[in-house]
Amino acid sequence: MKTDVLIIGGGPAGLSAAIETASRGLDVTIVDEASKLGGQLNQQTQALRPLPSVHEPMRGFELADKLIEQVKGFNVRPLLNHRVVGFYADGSAGITDEENVFPVKAKKIIVASGAAEKAVAFPKWTLPGIMTIGAAQTLINRDFVMPGREAVIVGSSDFAMETAIQLMDVGIRVKAIIEKQNGALAKEQEKVSELSRNGIPFYFNSFIREARGNGQVAQIDIELPDEVITLNVDLICMDGGRAPILDVFYQLGCSFGFQEELGGWVPQYSNTFQTDREDVFIAGNAAGISTQGPLLLTGMIAGISVSEELQAISPAEANEIRDAIWKELGLLECKEVYTGRVKHLENFTSPVLKDQFIS
Amino acid sequence: METNYETIVIGGGVVGSGIAYHLSERYKEGVLVLDKKYPMSGTSGSTQAWVWVHNKTPSWYAEFSMYSAELYPYLSKKIGDVEYKRTGGLSPFFNESDREKAEKLAESYRKIGIKIKVLSREEVLEKEPYMNPEVAGATYSSIDGNVNPFRLIDMYMRAAKRNGVRYSTYNKVTEIKKQDGKYSVVSDKGAFECKNLILAGGTWSREIGDMLGVKIPVNQLRGQILVSEPLKPFLNFTISGLRQANNGEVLMGYSMEEAGFNRATTLDVIQETANMAVQYVPGLRKAKIVRAFSGIRAMPEDGFPILGKVPGHENLYVAATHSGVTLSPLIGTLITELIMDGETSIPIDRYSLRRFG
Repeated sequence: MKTDVLIIGGGPAGLSAAIETASRGLDVTIVDEASKLGGQLNQQTQALRPLPSVHEPMRGFELADKLIEQVKGFNVRPLLNHRVVGFYADGSAGITDEENVFPVKAKKIIVASGAAEKAVAFPKWTLPGIMTIGAAQTLINRDFVMPGREAVIVGSSDFAMETAIQLMDVGIRVKAIIEKQNGALAKEQEKVSELSRNGIPFYFNSFIREARGNGQVAQIDIELPDEVITLNVDLICMDGGRAPILDVFYQLGCSFGFQEELGGWVPQYSNTFQTDREDVFIAGNAAGISTQGPLLLTGMIAGISVSEELQAISPAEANEIRDAIWKELGLLECKEVYTGRVKHLENFTSPVLKDQFIS
Repeated sequence: METNYETIVIGGGVVGSGIAYHLSERYKEGVLVLDKKYPMSGTSGSTQAWVWVHNKTPSWYAEFSMYSAELYPYLSKKIGDVEYKRTGGLSPFFNESDREKAEKLAESYRKIGIKIKVLSREEVLEKEPYMNPEVAGATYSSIDGNVNPFRLIDMYMRAAKRNGVRYSTYNKVTEIKKQDGKYSVVSDKGAFECKNLILAGGTWSREIGDMLGVKIPVNQLRGQILVSEPLKPFLNFTISGLRQANNGEVLMGYSMEEAGFNRATTLDVIQETANMAVQYVPGLRKAKIVRAFSGIRAMPEDGFPILGKVPGHENLYVAATHSGVTLSPLIGTLITELIMDGETSIPIDRYSLRRFG
């Protein structure tokens, strides 16, 4: 199979890139391992802010539906329930439907593989009932399954606070928020206040010392600064942050740089979101952990750059649009992340880790 | 860090660390091992790690490998458990016409005391019930086996360090100078002086030799290896091309490509390897592959080890070889003898660099 643009990952960034390229007449293929486009947006019921100015305020799954609707109007080939498992010597991607593997030869590849949640390890952290906040959200919103009755949340990021509120909304009793720092990390204090108003205690400078249970979690010990308390819970939602999913970049032999603010090791890329592999572009959380609005913008930039490379848009026009999107990105993105991103770009010309796949 | 050593070993892989350890057993002088990355990040950490004797040709090379394999049980006693398992090795063949070749191989080995059996189809399936029933036969040798390469090198390093050997890692050698009967080895982290210099740079031997104007004709060969999910223990032997590790994972690899130092994996070879594995053991068709990795192996131009003194250079030694895992206990022993006693317990003249003229 041949295509102009192969987009790996059909979440918000991949879909934005698809719209930018397909709307300019390019033949686009999106591969995603899920059975539906939209990625993590599909189970996000919270209102998304800030979104780029072209979108009115909306919730995650609504944005997913909107993007999918837009893509449908163009020449985009979705390969759902498919995965990229490697690359052939001639550069073709090997894509599997879990039965067969077939090659897809693309002129350009945009990798928008997203991020994976990290766990928070403590003794017995593998007991059933202990999961990441994203897993709890998926169970509730996508599968309509109650993940438990009595819960604690480990972590206090915006996402953790949103999840705590969601647990409350569906009738799960949230017994505590446990944070190892000395204050809540959420940027939106409103969510923290809402939880406090509902009588949920925040334990700062604290961590789970141990979980116990027979076949599933039943009890935890929490180490507070001056005492250890025991709670009976059947659900622990942990927020260990997220890290870019890098497998495809390894297989493509891209260089990486370490940027704490972007989530750790991130492929190197320039301001056109081109990696050091000329035919490979990057977008979304894979290019640094951010929020939905900025993720859409990174997908747009990658899409514009690929359109330019394939002569579907003039360099002058591409530069103009890119500059405008970068400006908006600067306004929309959390300062810390944006600064990290700019630093990361500066390292593009002198990557920290180059030729790591050279013996 | 001390900059003066009696002996410096360039390369801390299975060959270099093996030499450093064996030397440290008898040697009271200072030894330094330099590695451009870290031991196990190159060839030694990307291998199926067979300790393999049979189908090495000609028979004198098999004999050399056998002596090394015989050292393994003793080595494990000295440095600790390296998960050496003498499983026995099977090399299956699928055409009856290959039987004659197998018989010839067995005959030439018999002369040097290596017992190789040529098995019938029934005998193969009795030994290895999951083998493809279409197999025509196999050569079998009881001395073959495998080792855990990570444990092996780690134990070498620990034992060497206990005996006073120093390691300097992530430290690339950039230049070697000879002055006043000594070697000055210039590295990223400064210059080190030594009397004896041992070149054990594996795949990089040619580049290191060039620093001294010595031609060490070693090329790079890429091998790609697939790793399955952990499966119940079902393979009994080290089969040429695949083996089951202690944790149940099956390692599969048959490929040899010329790709310089590029360690990428390619789906072309991955698929070829999977097909080969399924041809040998059809049950693997259902196994999930968890990852693939590639390793760059050293391959001297004529395939045989390059060992011993470098002609025309005082106190300069070279150890560059394919099958470093199999040969490391023997090479360590022999290079130590050469430095300490000036001669070796078994002749190594045929492995001299001299043969390349």
